[in-house]
Amino acid sequence: MALVHKLLNGTCILRKCPKPSVALYPFLGTRFADYCSSSLQKPAAVPGKASSQRKTEGDLQGHHQRDVALDITCPEEKPEVSFDKAIKDELKNHFWRLKDDIVNRWIGPEGRPLHEVLLEQARVVWKFRGKEDLDKWIVTSDKTIGGRSEAFLKMGKNNQSALLYGTLSSDTPQDGESSRSGYCAMISRIPRGPFERKRSYDWSQFNTLYLRVRGDGRPWMVNIREDTDIIQRKNQIYSYFMFTRGGPYWQDVKKKLYLYVFVRVYLKYKFLKVKLIPFSKFFFSNQGRIRDAQYQLLLDKISSIGFTLADKVDGPFFLEIDFIGVFTDPAHTEEFAYENSPELNPRLFK
Amino acid sequence: MNPLILTIILMTVFLGTMIVMASSHWLMIWIGFEMNLLAIIPILMKKYSPRAMEASTKYFLTQATASMLLMMAIIINLMHSGQWTITKVFNPTASIIMTLALAMKLGLTPFHFWVPEVTQGISLTSGLILLTWQKLAPMSILYQISPSINLNILLTMAVLSILVGGWGGLNQTQLRKIMAYSSIAHMGWMTAILVYNPTLTMLNMLIYIMMTLTMFMLFIHSSSTTTLSLSHTWNKAPLITTLILITLLSMGGLPPLSGFMPKWMIIQELTKNSSIILPTLMAIMALLNLYFYTRLTYSTSLTMFPSTNNMKMKWQFETKQITLLPPLIIASSLLLPLTPMLSILD
Repeated sequence: MALVHKLLNGTCILRKCPKPSVALYPFLGTRFADYCSSSLQKPAAVPGKASSQRKTEGDLQGHHQRDVALDITCPEEKPEVSFDKAIKDELKNHFWRLKDDIVNRWIGPEGRPLHEVLLEQARVVWKFRGKEDLDKWIVTSDKTIGGRSEAFLKMGKNNQSALLYGTLSSDTPQDGESSRSGYCAMISRIPRGPFERKRSYDWSQFNTLYLRVRGDGRPWMVNIREDTDIIQRKNQIYSYFMFTRGGPYWQDVKKKLYLYVFVRVYLKYKFLKVKLIPFSKFFFSNQGRIRDAQYQLLLDKISSIGFTLADKVDGPFFLEIDFIGVFTDPAHTEEFAYENSPELNPRLFK
Repeated sequence: MNPLILTIILMTVFLGTMIVMASSHWLMIWIGFEMNLLAIIPILMKKYSPRAMEASTKYFLTQATASMLLMMAIIINLMHSGQWTITKVFNPTASIIMTLALAMKLGLTPFHFWVPEVTQGISLTSGLILLTWQKLAPMSILYQISPSINLNILLTMAVLSILVGGWGGLNQTQLRKIMAYSSIAHMGWMTAILVYNPTLTMLNMLIYIMMTLTMFMLFIHSSSTTTLSLSHTWNKAPLITTLILITLLSMGGLPPLSGFMPKWMIIQELTKNSSIILPTLMAIMALLNLYFYTRLTYSTSLTMFPSTNNMKMKWQFETKQITLLPPLIIASSLLLPLTPMLSILD
């Protein structure tokens, strides 16, 4: 119901979190993000609710309902003010999750019987069907370093997809130390167990990433992070490019004007495309620089996945994601797409 | 790696353990541990990847901390006894600290957290050396100080290790983690009997090393690191599938295989010393271990797991040669009738 209010008013759900704090203190950063998003939601919820409640009730029930009291609150929107109750609820929630964890351990890996896990050939890891699915993602942009890009995440039409949209701006922040700017990213939250224990995904029986997305022609980067306990590995990312098709950024068909218009209009309402990216194609980079020494992406401890846009083109962008899954492509036999050479890395060949 | 350098490093690992086992001076023992640790780090990082680097770092940190604690215990012992010879530990504090240090080196609970992470991050051959050879040196020191170890601490750690080794291995699909948790559980069994009859610790160690060697050799032969890839061995080498079945059940402690021998002897020795509840608990918790071994055999040997055509083509990958597999199989499955010959271990 809150979602309906927000869509009616055109209010965007703002989901932002300062990037440095997330990177440096992931535990704190996640908590920070919770407080961030909820505190930003609350002021938006209260005025929107009252006015749209008036609007919907007025529309539905006619003039004599205009004098509905404005302080009738929807049950789920009542703000929680009791600190003790919140702490108790949190503790109860964690103990409940611990109990579930123990019972699931008895059943099998990830709470399902072993034969089911072993025979599985496709799994949907993230899907976007409701607001709670959006809570599993963090959206950042270069606003954290002082830039002017903006990115927002909201549910798409009919709650069938998520829409990441915004504006990219490569104006560098004037702080004397940044020379480049202009990026937006959507990163999944690290899965947590009871008492906020860090968990990881085990995708070792799959070999391809399956994405159902609709983009606007801009090249996105898919980044995967591995789970690690040492901070020196926090900036190691495995990435690959996802080229989305169509949209208003085609440069080469401008000459054929009739075709350009036709193509542009046609592609504006194109279908969701399926992107299959084998895990063997992901290349290794550390601190944003692609390394000469390339290592295979090991799939048994995956921490998070992210989509980044940083293609130096200013302007609006959007990416609509239906779901993200992993599956075993039986025709894909490649283990690792890149080689190390003795000239660049002699120590790997000693 | 360059064969000459590899030989030197392996010889240093060997020499380190031999120095620990053969010395009578506490300082030489500590030196032996350090030699062993420093030489095994390049072995763990043989197939370099960021994960292997993380595993080696974790291993180094835990073992170095354990060596530091051992050094502190040695110095406290020196303070109270005035001499460096390894006889018994003269001070209860030094004994407790030494027990904790050696438990860290072995991977006993509550110091077991590094074992699955490190074993998972390194290659199968390095994991083999880690889980078999590296256990010899700390166990030999525990054997030598066994008269003066605090029974409560050791038994608590042993029982918790068996529990954690069983519970932790329950829903693993990665084979190296399964072997790591099995190592934790077996170390628990070994240390439980240490104070009562150290000979049985040595027996358990021998049988455990043979069984773990066999398991790792079979995994190396089929180049499998997950349960799913192991379940395709019926395609490639059906005989290996049978051997995996036998060895896994032997590790689970099923009679009439040789893995039953140490468990039987340990339970018998514990009941002779009038502790009834403890061996009952240990035997019940060993069932957890048996459960996940049996689950592994179910998917590997007892059923023909469905596989794609791609997997059926695994013959094109080279077969690794395994040295000494037949004697290892015999040793890990058929030694039970030799139990009356235990007296040679004394």
